[in-house]
Amino acid sequence: MTFPKSSGRDCVRAWEAMPWVLQNSATQEESEWLEGHLAHCESCRTEFAQQRRLQLAMSLPTDVSIDANTGLKRLLNRLDAPDIQEAPRRSRSGNWLNRALVAVVLIQALSIGALGVKLWSSSGTPTYRTLSQEAAPSAPGAIRVVPDTAMTMADWNALLHTLRLQVVGGPNDVGAYTVAPAGPASTTPHALQQLRATRGIRLAEPITATP
Amino acid sequence: MACAEAMNQDDIDADVTDRMLLQRMSTGDRAALNVLYRGYHGRLARFLSRLTRRPDIIDEVINDCFWIAWQKAGNFHGDSRVSTWLMGIAYRCGLKALRQHGDEPVENTDLLEQLTPDDDMDEDRELRDWLSKGLDHLSADQRVVIELVYGVGHTLDDVAVIMQCPVGTVKARLFHARVKLRNVLPALAGDSPKQKENAP
Repeated sequence: MTFPKSSGRDCVRAWEAMPWVLQNSATQEESEWLEGHLAHCESCRTEFAQQRRLQLAMSLPTDVSIDANTGLKRLLNRLDAPDIQEAPRRSRSGNWLNRALVAVVLIQALSIGALGVKLWSSSGTPTYRTLSQEAAPSAPGAIRVVPDTAMTMADWNALLHTLRLQVVGGPNDVGAYTVAPAGPASTTPHALQQLRATRGIRLAEPITATP
Repeated sequence: MACAEAMNQDDIDADVTDRMLLQRMSTGDRAALNVLYRGYHGRLARFLSRLTRRPDIIDEVINDCFWIAWQKAGNFHGDSRVSTWLMGIAYRCGLKALRQHGDEPVENTDLLEQLTPDDDMDEDRELRDWLSKGLDHLSADQRVVIELVYGVGHTLDDVAVIMQCPVGTVKARLFHARVKLRNVLPALAGDSPKQKENAP
């Protein structure tokens, strides 16, 4: 049963007027009109009686028993300590969200910091060199030596020992070693001469600085 | 009709008194808070009982409502009646409380036993049961509108202010609530011989 569709225009008007007539907020004219309509419309009379019963039921005091005195006492206690009580109340909602946001920002800041430190430290020692840059300084009196592949390790070591040389670099891609005098007693020209005279040494050239 | 605000003299007098109490509350007068609290406690408890049947939540919401009223008493500009303003605060606090712990189980079963007062007259109890069965078929917002219109006697404009929605929305909620009750309540009344006698 759905109301207004099956009823006449007056019944719709009566239906709309009922709550306001019941709560005395309708105009005098509207109240009198409704009274006249109810006098000859049984359907609306039944509806109005039910509306009156509904209003009566709604005006009964609540069946939920709550002590006003206890509630008021708690309220006054709450007013006495607003800062202590309200701070946690406010922070309760969205607490986890705030913490998560702070954690994300913190992680982001730490990551940016770590990246910055890494970039700063690596920028001091580049892994490449341009042709315009000076070559890395080599040890004083260094000689580039290419031993024959047939030369044994024992012969190589014995030769270096005899000439008081030590390996300071290499071998590189073509098998060249960089050797330098092990002490002040050894001189480069002498060592260079000896190396070139040694069988099994294919190349011995002094390394000079920038040409 | 309903939209044309027609406050009777009693309503006007009550509102003047309420405004004076709010004014005193804004200066820290706790005696005024006491009077306003006691004056509205029963009305708010019944209003909130249409939202939830849990006494502990209703108690908490009334507490929150008056705590806000105490804090904001000085900001009340009189755009509406004090009763409308308070009901609006209670409604929003009620919805918030339901969102927070409306689905929690009731720990104290004694609370539920408080629902039916022992001193209820048979006639009132029968009427209460009849209403309760009807309201069970309505949504929370429909129950609130029915309470505000039939229980408290607010106009459509007042209800729109309280629920912070357009008057058209209130009209629609009231219409659907009434249609549902119209369909359900006669059947419930059929169980009661007394009701049959009263029907024309």
